[in-house]
Amino acid sequence: MKQRTSLRPLDMTLAAMFVALMAIGANITSWVPFLVVGGVPITLQTFFCVLAGAVLGRRLGAVAMTVYMFVGLAGAPVFSKLSGGLSIIFQPTFGFILSFIAAAYVTGWIIERGPQPASTVRFVTAALVGMVINYVIGTNWMYMAYKLWAEAPKGLSYEMVWGWMLVPLPKDILLSIVAGLIAPRLCRAIGRSSSASRPAA
Amino acid sequence: MSNHLIIGQYVPGQSIIHRLDPRAKLLIVFAYVLIVFLANNAATYALLSVFAFLFAALSRIPFSYIMRGLRPVIWVVLFTFVLHVWMTKEGDVLYRIGALTIYEEGVRQGIFISLRFLLLVLMTTMLTLTTTPIEVTDGVESLLGPLKKMRVPVHELALMMAISLRFIPTLMEETEKIMKAQAARGVDFSGGRFSERMKAIVSLLVPLFISSFKRADELATAMEARGYRGGEGRTKFRQLAWKRTDTVFFAAVVLLAILLCLLRS
Repeated sequence: MKQRTSLRPLDMTLAAMFVALMAIGANITSWVPFLVVGGVPITLQTFFCVLAGAVLGRRLGAVAMTVYMFVGLAGAPVFSKLSGGLSIIFQPTFGFILSFIAAAYVTGWIIERGPQPASTVRFVTAALVGMVINYVIGTNWMYMAYKLWAEAPKGLSYEMVWGWMLVPLPKDILLSIVAGLIAPRLCRAIGRSSSASRPAA
Repeated sequence: MSNHLIIGQYVPGQSIIHRLDPRAKLLIVFAYVLIVFLANNAATYALLSVFAFLFAALSRIPFSYIMRGLRPVIWVVLFTFVLHVWMTKEGDVLYRIGALTIYEEGVRQGIFISLRFLLLVLMTTMLTLTTTPIEVTDGVESLLGPLKKMRVPVHELALMMAISLRFIPTLMEETEKIMKAQAARGVDFSGGRFSERMKAIVSLLVPLFISSFKRADELATAMEARGYRGGEGRTKFRQLAWKRTDTVFFAAVVLLAILLCLLRS
């Protein structure tokens, strides 16, 4: 009996390449040190994540981000600061890694909904929505993690956690817009607009 | 550098922990992570600590490597401890320093909860230190095998993990090459105004994308030319073998779980 699956070899290799790109994006400052702004190293994870949704389509984009998470948990140093390993689950920032899956899915979904090929405005909107999802899930997880792992009593407020997240917000808004602008070009480069263009699985 | 990147934090070795089947290690670590939450008094925490430190000692990994793995979470552990000591106001008063009063219950809670966190991180770090990412991938594929019946593409996920592990160093080298090629054309990667920095980064990312798409395409063509048709009937280069030591270690965790259930208050 043949395993029924809708993942073609090209889908699998493209998803794997996006995992490698995420690994580079997470540590881009080791190649391009000028991206350290005010002592905070900028990462391109959100950037590549929304592009995965936009270029690979919602389903394959989410699959690629799932593989990224697993590769990191298996011990390859693919997360920011070249970290990796199963213990990452217990770090408060693990929610951001988890949220890439949802962010890529929603980004792809918004682009696939309208008329094809999607307009640049739609690409940029989709990228921004993806980024917002990244922040909402990531920050809520961080709050929950402090509550659960550390059993933090009343002292830690919800507003306080969101306050920490405002620092990297402007650069992520900017990078999401850039991602939305170059996504149509990349879609044309791989010769297919999204997984919506092939028969539904 | 790229060699370091493939294996991550893995420390090569021939200890009994290194030679355990990756499936056994995964099961032991997951079971441990679950049963840690059973502990609620000194005896149970002591038992858990003895198990974890014995596991670490058997791996014969130098203490400094283990500490390096723990360093990122040491702040969270300290933060947890201080928070509990500061916030809990139960039990007898131990010290009074100005406005700050330290209660017995606070210190107890602080020690237990930061120890629990430390043990969780220690055991998961041991898995990463003694197992290569590709071994973990094989182990996960084998353990999740039954999910294939529920149409979860387990084999495909494992294959994608293996492909990414193979291509991460390749694309990292490619990044360096593209930077040099663009620098030779006059792109400034050393600084400049914000708009110039953005332009420089786009001049790096677009060729990187094109090159990775090309690699994906070539690899897919090669797979199809060799008749790849999914996991069915596939033979493997790396074989997993469950040995008697694996059973012994797994039994030890089960025993630990039973003891915890009996000793907890």
